[in-house]
Amino acid sequence: MKKKFFTLLAVSLSMGLGVAACNPVNPNSKSTKLTLTGSSTVAPLVGEIVKRFEAENPEVRIDVQTGGSSRGLADVSQGLNDIGMISRSLKDQEKTQFQSYAIAQDGIGIILESSNPVQKLSDQQVVDIYTGKIDNWQQVGGENAPITVVNKAEGRSTLELFLKYFDLNNSTIQADVIIGDNQQGIKTVAGNPHAIGYVSIGAAERDISQKVPLKLLSVGGIDATTATVQNGSFPLSRPLNLVTTETPSGLTKEFIEFAQSENVHDLVEAQNFVPVTSSKLVYAP
Amino acid sequence: MSRKASSKLINLDQLFKVVIWLIPLSITAIFIWILSDIVIGGIGQISWAFLTTNPLDAGRDGGIAPILVSTFLILAVCLVASVPISIGTAILLAEFTPNQNWFGRLVRRSLDVLAGVPSIVFGLFGNAFFAQTLGLGFSILSGGLTLACMVLPILIRSTEAGLRAVPQEYRLNSAALGISKTSTLWHLLLPAATPGLLVGLVLGLGRAIAETAALIFTSGYVDRMPTSLLDSGRSLSIHIFDLSMNVSGGDSNAYGSALILILILLIINAIAAWLGSKYNYLYD
Repeated sequence: MKKKFFTLLAVSLSMGLGVAACNPVNPNSKSTKLTLTGSSTVAPLVGEIVKRFEAENPEVRIDVQTGGSSRGLADVSQGLNDIGMISRSLKDQEKTQFQSYAIAQDGIGIILESSNPVQKLSDQQVVDIYTGKIDNWQQVGGENAPITVVNKAEGRSTLELFLKYFDLNNSTIQADVIIGDNQQGIKTVAGNPHAIGYVSIGAAERDISQKVPLKLLSVGGIDATTATVQNGSFPLSRPLNLVTTETPSGLTKEFIEFAQSENVHDLVEAQNFVPVTSSKLVYAP
Repeated sequence: MSRKASSKLINLDQLFKVVIWLIPLSITAIFIWILSDIVIGGIGQISWAFLTTNPLDAGRDGGIAPILVSTFLILAVCLVASVPISIGTAILLAEFTPNQNWFGRLVRRSLDVLAGVPSIVFGLFGNAFFAQTLGLGFSILSGGLTLACMVLPILIRSTEAGLRAVPQEYRLNSAALGISKTSTLWHLLLPAATPGLLVGLVLGLGRAIAETAALIFTSGYVDRMPTSLLDSGRSLSIHIFDLSMNVSGGDSNAYGSALILILILLIINAIAAWLGSKYNYLYD
């Protein structure tokens, strides 16, 4: 017993010393290591791109961390990462501080449970549903049942994009359910025939093909499909961006170029996103 | 008492019996429901390859080998850091401070407050302190130490309870035999308090292994096989969260990972029960 306690004590003490001896590591000091943080929507895709990049460059190590687009921007401005990940465009006032490089395109579609008889909603109807002016499906040609409004949590870029397109203010939205991620939105709406929500089109298409009871509504008269997102006609879409504060150089530049190249288009599609047409890309200078 | 009144009483008795049986039955039913849901969804995913290969396609395919390794390393760091501190604090509280001592009460009260703090607060603290101030970055070490802070209250309070449960006569007899307080502690009190510590360990490990919020900002999201404690490593709970929340089509592997997580918990429980009975046998 005594021996065991002393061993434990010794190990924990030496670990404490080891901790104290470690100086803060500047992520830029080593050119073979990169850290990316940010959007949980972008992270799984970048994780896959990183694996392929590491396989081609065995000396490189790239760590991907999540936490949301806002965190990605905050980290990159404080120098806590090398590249931030955001699932939206930069706002005008952010463009002076950051540079963004699109790696994929994502469309946001409005979803209903598949047994809901409503086939179409105009933009104005969507606005009225989300602001509580319409609160029964009967008012838009459906069954006599109250509408369950599913909204995204504050800080999610899907929410910002949705608000911007429909010219809404989050404080005027009368939400019944607040959700975080795409999958949570899909599960909430698929489990409630009277719910309405909005999620990534790629994710919704994939789940619909796996027989999840969902349907995507058109927005502004344009069908919500990955094809309309790619050709740019679908209005409610967003770019997935890599963000830096300085003009990328060295490994940072190499990685951004790799993430924008055709080498990774199959990975983008496998994650239900849409590759950016090369003519629309902003390349790292 | 009239016949009518007594039969009424018997009916009331029967009613109580039914209610008393229904409550535990419904609790067990919920547990079995959850468990069977996970087993049905996950059993098809489990194979030797699932345990020994790397995740592919953002976790939809492939296995969980690096995630298992990271999880065990995080738990190991957590235990190595928290067990000595807990035993020390518990000894102080149970043996060296009188019950009504202001200092002991202060420590106990702060532990109780600490036990109620939501785990995301520990996560943000761990990120600010271990990852940034101490410069450990997103690493298994940061994650394990953050979890250690989180399980301290559970470990300390249960070890303290274990020590207090040792009859006062032990201490008196020991003193009467001229045995020093330190020897009494090492040879008598600590072994006798081991079952309490083990209960705390199981509860603490259970809380630690299920933790997501405290780890996402400390041990991080990287699903590569860790090569040192300073590498970022994704825990099983974060993997399950990511697969079910961020990765469409990741449900089946999320179920598989959840089943593995539950199996690990059951194994930890079994080991603790076995160790507990062994110690009881040795020292009774």
